[in-house]
Amino acid sequence: MPLMPKRVKHRKEFRRVRDRKATKANYVAYGDYGLQSMERCWLPGRVIEAGRIAAQHYLKREGKLFIRVFPDKPISKKPLETRMGTGKADVDYWAARIKPGTMIFEIAGVSEAVAKKAMIRVAMKMPVKTRLVSRRVVV
Amino acid sequence: MKDRVPKISATVRERNGSRFAKRIREQGRLPGVIYGHKMEPVSVSFDTRELVPQIEKGEKVFKLDMPGSTHKDEDQMVLLKELQFDYLGDTIIHADFARVDLNERVKTKVHVRLQGEAIGLKSAGAILMHPTNEIEIECRVADLPDEVVVEISGLGLNELITADKIKLPAADMKLLTDPHSIIAQIIEAKEEVVAEAAVVGADAATPEVIGEKERAEKAAKDGAAPAKPGAAPAKGAAPAAGAKPAAKK
Repeated sequence: MPLMPKRVKHRKEFRRVRDRKATKANYVAYGDYGLQSMERCWLPGRVIEAGRIAAQHYLKREGKLFIRVFPDKPISKKPLETRMGTGKADVDYWAARIKPGTMIFEIAGVSEAVAKKAMIRVAMKMPVKTRLVSRRVVV
Repeated sequence: MKDRVPKISATVRERNGSRFAKRIREQGRLPGVIYGHKMEPVSVSFDTRELVPQIEKGEKVFKLDMPGSTHKDEDQMVLLKELQFDYLGDTIIHADFARVDLNERVKTKVHVRLQGEAIGLKSAGAILMHPTNEIEIECRVADLPDEVVVEISGLGLNELITADKIKLPAADMKLLTDPHSIIAQIIEAKEEVVAEAAVVGADAATPEVIGEKERAEKAAKDGAAPAKPGAAPAKGAAPAAGAKPAAKK
């Protein structure tokens, strides 16, 4: 089962504007290498799970994977071939808000070559353009 | 601190704000601010191609050069306090400097470099974790180290080095970081435990709405109480005697 919150304040949510760039969680904080999003999207929980599985199957028991995003936004969707109206539809899936610059995954304890290969596999699952970044050294 | 302090040329910015800062960046300059010593902060701009390579080399103390000006900050020693990066974390977009004297004690962050091959890493599945790669110290500006080297060759599996175990380069340096904060740790990679949220079962398909249960209980309690006189009749109930008929649609 994909990630989702256990408790929420409101069952459904407005869509909200998606035109900002990441101002936080846009650097490698826990691991040595990270997968950074270059675009914006609502990343469903099942896609995060797919990325996690792809990375861990490649890493086997080597290294440690960090998931930096959590799907806490309910996305509702009307069933097919239904008429408009009669209120907001039921929640279809839960998504994480991804902005350009958001760090999605991080890896620690592996070499750059291994991290790169693992992240390429994860990037295949992502609906956005991503890039591999390493931890910043400049204080 | 290196023996030779690099000189950086700065120009006072006449107009502040994000729009003007953006225009300055487009001209190949880096906006910044100089503050401290109980004097007014001054907004300045630097040549990006001159300053950024120096910062990337690890320089922290600079001497200001304001050519053609009689500004009070001419030949002032400054310490790099903070950097701001763009949304991708690649490009420096702003730099903060504090006015300092070489004999003054300052609080600053120093990069931590881990040296050596830890013995604990030889066992299968061992990972070196270093949650932070900088520590905060208090020292004289003249004694400011470029980096603090931490020897990890003797670090075994499930052992850690905390900030208080770091040997600082000079005796009068004071550690400001939490002494218990972990600098380096060797842990054993375990089989990934699936997140708790993922295994709570079918009930978790719809998360609990905070306060909904209480609201439902309260509504049920209110519903059980006798209706107030003159209250609207329930849907489908017969209208009260003497009530006006509803308008036809």
